[in-house]
Amino acid sequence: MTRSATSPTALLLLAFLTAAQASAQRPASSIVIVTGGEPSMPIPTLMEGAQNQVANFEVADHLFLRLANLGPGLITAGDRGFVPMLARSWSRRDSVTLVFELDPRARWHDGAPVTARDVLFAFARARDPAIAPKLATLTQHIAAVEADGDHRVVIRFTHPYAEQLYDATWHVAPLPAHLLAQLPPDGLARSSFLEHPIGNGPYRWVRRVPGEFIELAADTTFFLGRPGINRVIIRSAADADARLNLLLSGQADAMDNVPPPLSNLQRVAADPDVRLVTVPSPTLGFLLFNQRARRDSTRPHPVLADADVRRALVLALDRQVLVRAVLGEYGEVPFGPASPLLWIGHGAGTPLRQDRAAATRLLAARGWADHDRDGVLDRHGVPLALTLNYPGTSAIRRTMAQLIQEQYRQLGIRVDLAQFEFPVYLERRDGGDFDIDFSSTTQDPSPSGLTQSWTCAGGLNRAHYCDPAVDSLITRAIASQGDTRTVWRRVLQRIEQDAPAAFIYAPTYVFAVNRRYRDVTIRPESSWISLWRWSVGPAGSPQTAGY
Amino acid sequence: MSPLGAAIRAAARDPRGRAGLGFLGLLLLLALLAPAVLPDPAAQPDPLGASNLAPSLLHPFGTDPLSRDLLSRVVTGARVSLGVALLAVALSITLGALVGVAAGYLGGAVDTALMRLVDGALAIPRLFLLLLVLAVWERVPVLTLVVFIGATGWFGTSRLVRAEVLRIREESFIRAAEALGAPRRRIIFRHLLPNALGPLLVAATLGVGDVILVEAGLSFLGLGVQPPTPSWGGMILDAKSVLVTAPWNAIFPGLAILGTVLSANLVGDALRDAVDPGSA
Amino acid sequence: MGLWLARRAVQAIITFVLALTLLFVLMRLAPGDPVQRLEGERPMSPQEIARLRQRFGVDQPIGRQYQLFLGGVARGDLGTSIEYNRPVTTLLRERLPATILLGGTVILVNFTLGIWLGVRQARRRGSGEDRLLTAVSLAGHAMPSFWLALILAWLVGVRLRWLPSAGLSDPLLGADAPLLARAMDVAAHLVLPALTLILVTLAGTMRFQRGAMLEVLRLPYIVTARAKGVPEMRVTWRHAWRNAVFPMVTLLALWLPLLVTGSVFVEAVFAWPGLGSLAAAAAGNRDYPLLMGVAILAGGLLVGSSMVADLAYAALDPRVRLA
Repeated sequence: MTRSATSPTALLLLAFLTAAQASAQRPASSIVIVTGGEPSMPIPTLMEGAQNQVANFEVADHLFLRLANLGPGLITAGDRGFVPMLARSWSRRDSVTLVFELDPRARWHDGAPVTARDVLFAFARARDPAIAPKLATLTQHIAAVEADGDHRVVIRFTHPYAEQLYDATWHVAPLPAHLLAQLPPDGLARSSFLEHPIGNGPYRWVRRVPGEFIELAADTTFFLGRPGINRVIIRSAADADARLNLLLSGQADAMDNVPPPLSNLQRVAADPDVRLVTVPSPTLGFLLFNQRARRDSTRPHPVLADADVRRALVLALDRQVLVRAVLGEYGEVPFGPASPLLWIGHGAGTPLRQDRAAATRLLAARGWADHDRDGVLDRHGVPLALTLNYPGTSAIRRTMAQLIQEQYRQLGIRVDLAQFEFPVYLERRDGGDFDIDFSSTTQDPSPSGLTQSWTCAGGLNRAHYCDPAVDSLITRAIASQGDTRTVWRRVLQRIEQDAPAAFIYAPTYVFAVNRRYRDVTIRPESSWISLWRWSVGPAGSPQTAGY
Repeated sequence: MSPLGAAIRAAARDPRGRAGLGFLGLLLLLALLAPAVLPDPAAQPDPLGASNLAPSLLHPFGTDPLSRDLLSRVVTGARVSLGVALLAVALSITLGALVGVAAGYLGGAVDTALMRLVDGALAIPRLFLLLLVLAVWERVPVLTLVVFIGATGWFGTSRLVRAEVLRIREESFIRAAEALGAPRRRIIFRHLLPNALGPLLVAATLGVGDVILVEAGLSFLGLGVQPPTPSWGGMILDAKSVLVTAPWNAIFPGLAILGTVLSANLVGDALRDAVDPGSA
Repeated sequence: MGLWLARRAVQAIITFVLALTLLFVLMRLAPGDPVQRLEGERPMSPQEIARLRQRFGVDQPIGRQYQLFLGGVARGDLGTSIEYNRPVTTLLRERLPATILLGGTVILVNFTLGIWLGVRQARRRGSGEDRLLTAVSLAGHAMPSFWLALILAWLVGVRLRWLPSAGLSDPLLGADAPLLARAMDVAAHLVLPALTLILVTLAGTMRFQRGAMLEVLRLPYIVTARAKGVPEMRVTWRHAWRNAVFPMVTLLALWLPLLVTGSVFVEAVFAWPGLGSLAAAAAGNRDYPLLMGVAILAGGLLVGSSMVADLAYAALDPRVRLA
């Protein structure tokens, strides 16, 4: 390095510092949210397969409005409690017909008004199994969707049931027919609409930098009120700890789902710039006991087909410790397969506490005792040894699995852990090749989702659990139109009794939001859907500058 | 004394060799003594109260998120890492030597075919290859892991051995043996291989470092050795989610890897200088 | 010369195809179904699954899939990603700049700093500086890259807040910000991931150059040059290094695929939107088309650059040509 190099070096340094300063001054009315998935296709009704993921839904919710949103109670049954969005009001013509009046003020971002034609177009796409197989299944009870003038839509159902309004509003959001009608159904994936979607929501699309972020800008003429924050950046980072780093270093203002374990949550809580917002989550974690033999589903499982053994396995666990060790106070032990999001779960019952003595008694009664004194229970020479499958992608399950293994070991139950890559884990689970599967599901707000996993013929019932009493209770609950809360409670109680699984954890999602944002609400069914109602504190609020 | 023996002695006198062997010896000693002196690495005494404790007199390395003593886990992890490394390298060296000799000595179509295969396999990153192969198994017993790692690590060695064989093949004593009608097998095992041992040993020592890193990488990805058996890579994986609050969980296993690989490389370096002084 | 070139080219193509076939077969053999993974938590009807399988061509026998795959490659069509439902070529193109930026920086530093330090070490062989550099570089080489990445991200990004902890750029900077500010922003984001990779790889480059240099310095013509009174600097760089650079050319060729696959761990920890993390995700998701796309890119680069390196070698060193 020669002497004359000092001046350019100084200049470079100066430039660097200036740039650093420039980017450190955050415009007051903006928010940077960091999420895990990369939203590559945030268009309602186009999200099939892999695109059927939370990241896409959340971005779509800023851009596209539904006819009506779920109310704060998250109740999906009945006609009350929903919040008008594109539909200003609705009325019931008869037990199978709903009539929606569209708000005439609603506009697409290119200025065109939102009309009944857009609603019809979206429903036509959604109900076509060739285009959107999953949505077609979800909307199968809708018989017909018709327009009555420009701003009235009539939706007829196949039969009377409680969740008609939910089915008509939750799954399908209207799309701009005037822009999309002439495109072939498959052409949407490669069209220019995807590069620059035109919606009708509180935020309009600005740009997308692949692999990094999406930028949205407030629609100042939004008919329901001007959004409080001008710029919204949705940043994606696949690694949960990278997201945490972004939050803690001030590069992000808000984050969904601060990753456990508890110490991280406490660390974020201790950060003076950040406020924690807890939201009931739709997630449920449970140990699913396979009731058929692993590689031959015609034969019962040698150990787990016995209901008493399963009950003993549930009693053997200290689930409170599991939840508190990993999630702290940000989670609870669920009662039956009900996450906090499901309205049926509240007050349905209390999960059993650990009772090792009872567990040992139950097992002994079924012939399991440590006959050969090797520390592991056995019966007829066969040890009580089970494999626990879980995906490597879940940090919670990985940690809990080790705690569970140790808890069972103390009772003489040998549990071997088997961690898999996610697709391999799925393959094992769906093929019934497991003893215990550490499952985690994301539930819909509607309890009818329980049919998939906990009825004899359920498509997701991989453990071959079958209790006809549960089946009839669920059928009754879904068909009835009155208050079904008691029936659903009985469902949960019955499932707890049968012990097809040990329901371990229902985490509370912990969101972290910078303190300068006001009127912050996070919705359980779609986290950021109320973002447009937030506001920002004065510029220069406590905010650490730079990186 | 054989040239190889002399080389080993020279390496042991070299300060680098000394440092490396010293560290490795210490680690080995600790790993053997651990069960007697240190707490059980799998025991979770108090997950609610004693997790993520900072280093203290009671727990010199602190405790991990499940309240296990970190020092005993790091030391026990040495057993897995070193064990896998030594066995896998032994396998790699053997395979590589055999293929290299076959290619170098037999020549012709055999040589071309083998080397094409080696080139093709070298084009695929090793970790990647291992990931795919390991995905088939449910719980990989340590021995199977050794076989897989060993089976993916011989390509470079085979090239090395082949080059050596090509060099030695033209030497007069080989020619003489051939002229005297010695069988091929004898020539290979009696004359060729012993002379290729030097570079082979160097490759082996350096290979140990590589395998430790590979195994750590696999454990970090959640494959390889399953909990509760401690493995350094697996410990770093567990530490990742508590990095901001309990960084010692990541620091100590990482330093252990660093120390061990560095030591192996130092020994390998010293050996290389002893075997082939010109390249020092 | 032409004959040698042709032979070399054929060899390269064969190796390339062999590697691709190996990868293709391994992918198909590995358990885990890409279509099944798509269903997430809601079941898909058998018709839906069948339709998806058909769309992505996974319902065909392996031989046929391979045929279609090769045909597609020849046409330049790498298929559609199962995970993203977009053309593979588009996805690759989107992620390539970030990868080239990171990989290119690492390679540049390695082949300038690494070469300079390696030569310097060779000249001062056995000195304190030589030993120190060896020790430090070996230490770097002995670290797992994922560990170093985690520590640096936490220490420098979160604890000290000297540099950004993740990402490629600051999204708030806006597309209309001045070029210098944007460049500086990206540079700041580049430091930590590049530093991680450089620390872990510099040792290899240095030692390689050092070894090559030492071999050349022993040769008689160098002794002669010194005896003739040629200044030391000239002896080193003009005479010795000219011959010691050849192995580095080969090394550079081997390194070029690093440009493509990068380091998967580093990209994950620093949320660097490159091809490495795309490939890792594709492997995890069994997204065959995307995975093969990345493999083609990496493999092609490797084979191509090996050829170029051999060519350069041959052009520079007549002995190779005639061998």
